[in-house]
Amino acid sequence: MTMLAADSRERRAMPGLSPSLKATLTDRAPILIPVAMLILLVAIYASLREGVFTLDELNLDTAAALTLVLAATGQTIVLLRGGIDLSIGGTISLGTVLAATQFRDDPAHVALWTVLILVIGALVGVVNGVLITALRLQPFLVTLATWSILSGTALIILPIDGGGLPSFWMAFGSRNWLGLSSAVWLLAVLVLFWLWFRRTRLGIAIRATGSNERSAFLSGVSPLGINVATYALSSLFAALAALYLTTQTGAGSPTIGKDYILPSVAAAVIGGISLFGGRGGLIGTIIGAYILTIIGNLVFVLSISSYWQPIVSGVILLIAVLASSIAERSARRSLT
Amino acid sequence: MTDFLKATAVVKRYGGIVALGRADLSARAGEVHALLGENGAGKSTFIQILAGAVRADSGTITLAGEAYRPKNPEAAQAAGVAAVFQELSLIPDLTVAENVWFRHEPLSPLGTVRAATLNAATAELFARYRFPDIRPDREVRRLTLAERQVVEIGKALSRNPRVLILDEATSALPPAETEWLLGLARSVAAAGTLVIYISHRLGEVRAIADRITVFRNGETVAAYETQAVDDETIIADMLGRRMDRLYPPRVATATDRVALGLRGFGAGSKLSGIDLDLKEGEVLGVAGLQGHGQRELFQALFGLGRAEGSVALWGQPRDIRSPRAALSGRDGLALVPEDRRSHGLMLAKSIRENLTLSVVRRFTRFGLTDPTREQALVEEMIRTLRIKADSPEQPAGTLSGGNQQKVIFGKMLLTEARILLLYDPTRGIDVGTKGEIFTLMRRLAAEGYAILFYSSDLAELVHVADRVAVLRNGRLAAVLEGDDNSEHGILRAAMIERAAA
Repeated sequence: MTMLAADSRERRAMPGLSPSLKATLTDRAPILIPVAMLILLVAIYASLREGVFTLDELNLDTAAALTLVLAATGQTIVLLRGGIDLSIGGTISLGTVLAATQFRDDPAHVALWTVLILVIGALVGVVNGVLITALRLQPFLVTLATWSILSGTALIILPIDGGGLPSFWMAFGSRNWLGLSSAVWLLAVLVLFWLWFRRTRLGIAIRATGSNERSAFLSGVSPLGINVATYALSSLFAALAALYLTTQTGAGSPTIGKDYILPSVAAAVIGGISLFGGRGGLIGTIIGAYILTIIGNLVFVLSISSYWQPIVSGVILLIAVLASSIAERSARRSLT
Repeated sequence: MTDFLKATAVVKRYGGIVALGRADLSARAGEVHALLGENGAGKSTFIQILAGAVRADSGTITLAGEAYRPKNPEAAQAAGVAAVFQELSLIPDLTVAENVWFRHEPLSPLGTVRAATLNAATAELFARYRFPDIRPDREVRRLTLAERQVVEIGKALSRNPRVLILDEATSALPPAETEWLLGLARSVAAAGTLVIYISHRLGEVRAIADRITVFRNGETVAAYETQAVDDETIIADMLGRRMDRLYPPRVATATDRVALGLRGFGAGSKLSGIDLDLKEGEVLGVAGLQGHGQRELFQALFGLGRAEGSVALWGQPRDIRSPRAALSGRDGLALVPEDRRSHGLMLAKSIRENLTLSVVRRFTRFGLTDPTREQALVEEMIRTLRIKADSPEQPAGTLSGGNQQKVIFGKMLLTEARILLLYDPTRGIDVGTKGEIFTLMRRLAAEGYAILFYSSDLAELVHVADRVAVLRNGRLAAVLEGDDNSEHGILRAAMIERAAA
């Protein structure tokens, strides 16, 4: 006879809890916190400077943030899978030096090399995915190694910053349509892509694998397939980030990619992505990237040393992590 | 009738451990076929092979007359084999509906999965099989264990399987849902599906199974029509020749010396005013309906969570605020926790590391560990407890449930604590290992250990404990001994307030 007698019945009943406001708030904390932080930062920024609420400002900030947004998009996908991709630094560097050395003043040729750079980027991810799965290696170490290899390759192709890009290419970066810069339009396309992608079978499978790898496997997700897809998408977005970056800088740089590795992780985490995988979305990451960009603006407007920027970013990152972990804990408590 | 699923001489080894020596099974479409056997008999390995999660080393399986050798779970699902694993395969961060249709979601023209479509399809599926009420749009991590179990069943049914495998599917279900699942298994079989049903509960098996196959030590030892066999035969086949009694003889070994004395002991709002003496050489049972303070008692004694009142160990007043304070060697306490997979063991670590983690100082000299001495302690434990393993370096996670529990016992014994807190130590463990654990408990008591023993199975308390303390609403309701220590007596003490109300 077991002790699951009558009184355990009601506690084991299966009610559909009607979500109270508090539950909804703690549920949404990972996205509400960065939204609140962005509003606060923009408010501070607007109090220090005229013309913050203009299209010009939006165009400029988006152009400044977009490379990070693209890099962080790839990182977001990998983090949702429960991995991490340090190699995007190498892919970005390699992408910019390839563009700077290979692009000629001929649209057809540029189109060809654009495609090639994207393919090379995707192949980097395929290699990462295969190494991680087939050799059962840690993503951190595999991508650290491929980052190093790619960075060296970039240095061989173009040892110092430089090279040239066709003028029509750079003109694209500064063009406006309907008052909005190309960066804003690209961002809109990215958001549409995400709204579609997150509801595809692949999108769900990536999130599911990050949430519980063993369960995903038992449900029929192929470990190799999911890793190759995840890391290929990450590298593909890193290559896109590199291409966009060249429209802004007009040059290739074999070392610039490393500036995006940890900020891409920071943007995602500030935006509510769990490092343990499975939770969060790109909208949060985009907000995270804007937060980091606005911090840069603030440091500039206050004309304090630019060394303050990483300090403030670090504090913001800590606040975001702390706030969402408090929300997570209180959510768990309200469950039991 | 021909066999729909036929497995012949299926073998699976993990290193030197033979998980399946020779498994055979023949089952027909449209029947409920029960698989019985102790934990570690190879049932789990066998169904993992069927479900494509594990590949057999040799042997043949045919499904509907064709060779069946799934290389992964996806291939098994494509062949129409769906499994509800004991180890659930749900994704915590996806909704109920997303989980049910995971990997075969209905797609919109844009190739996307629409939440509304998915929720409607789930509601329809749940209605068709009269599922308990669960909202399709809830995230699975917000569900209770019982609800998850139900969703897992929905997930398997959503594939319209030709073979439905239910592995201990009722273990987490309350009685009403268990009834529902048994009815469901029958009706799915009536519609032509082969249902393979694994359970430790013989009553359930009798109620629904057409035929039974028994595994023992990785081999198929018997197969029969349910109606043509009695329970004694089934149990004899499951246990083999090892038919020694489950409960060891109970010899009173308690002395007058109080090992653990509680006065006014309590823990928050769940437990208060406990006065209790556990004596040297005694096994003192603790009973109560679920949620009446047993868990709080054990946790508070071990320094987890708040505690009030006074505690004396071997006559010395003690203030135990952390497990570290409880684990103070010979005059301390050791606990076997309830959830061995998440609290008691590091599954990826070896048996040796698990055993010696909390007692590193016992073989440390001048700040360095002495591997020879460590090895000696570990081997002694493996021998005393009869832990069935390849080597001390085998990861604890690869052991069967019963052997994992033995490792926890070993870890606890190595602390040299002579007051042992055992919280449901036999839960989910096969009959053979249960018997070994009871024998060990009585032997330890005879050696002068003092044991506080909670079990959710009343029969164990009645047969193993010298006295039983019954908790009700966080207070001590009665201490039963002699003839009063019976299942009836315990239940009455645990429930009497309810009966009066």
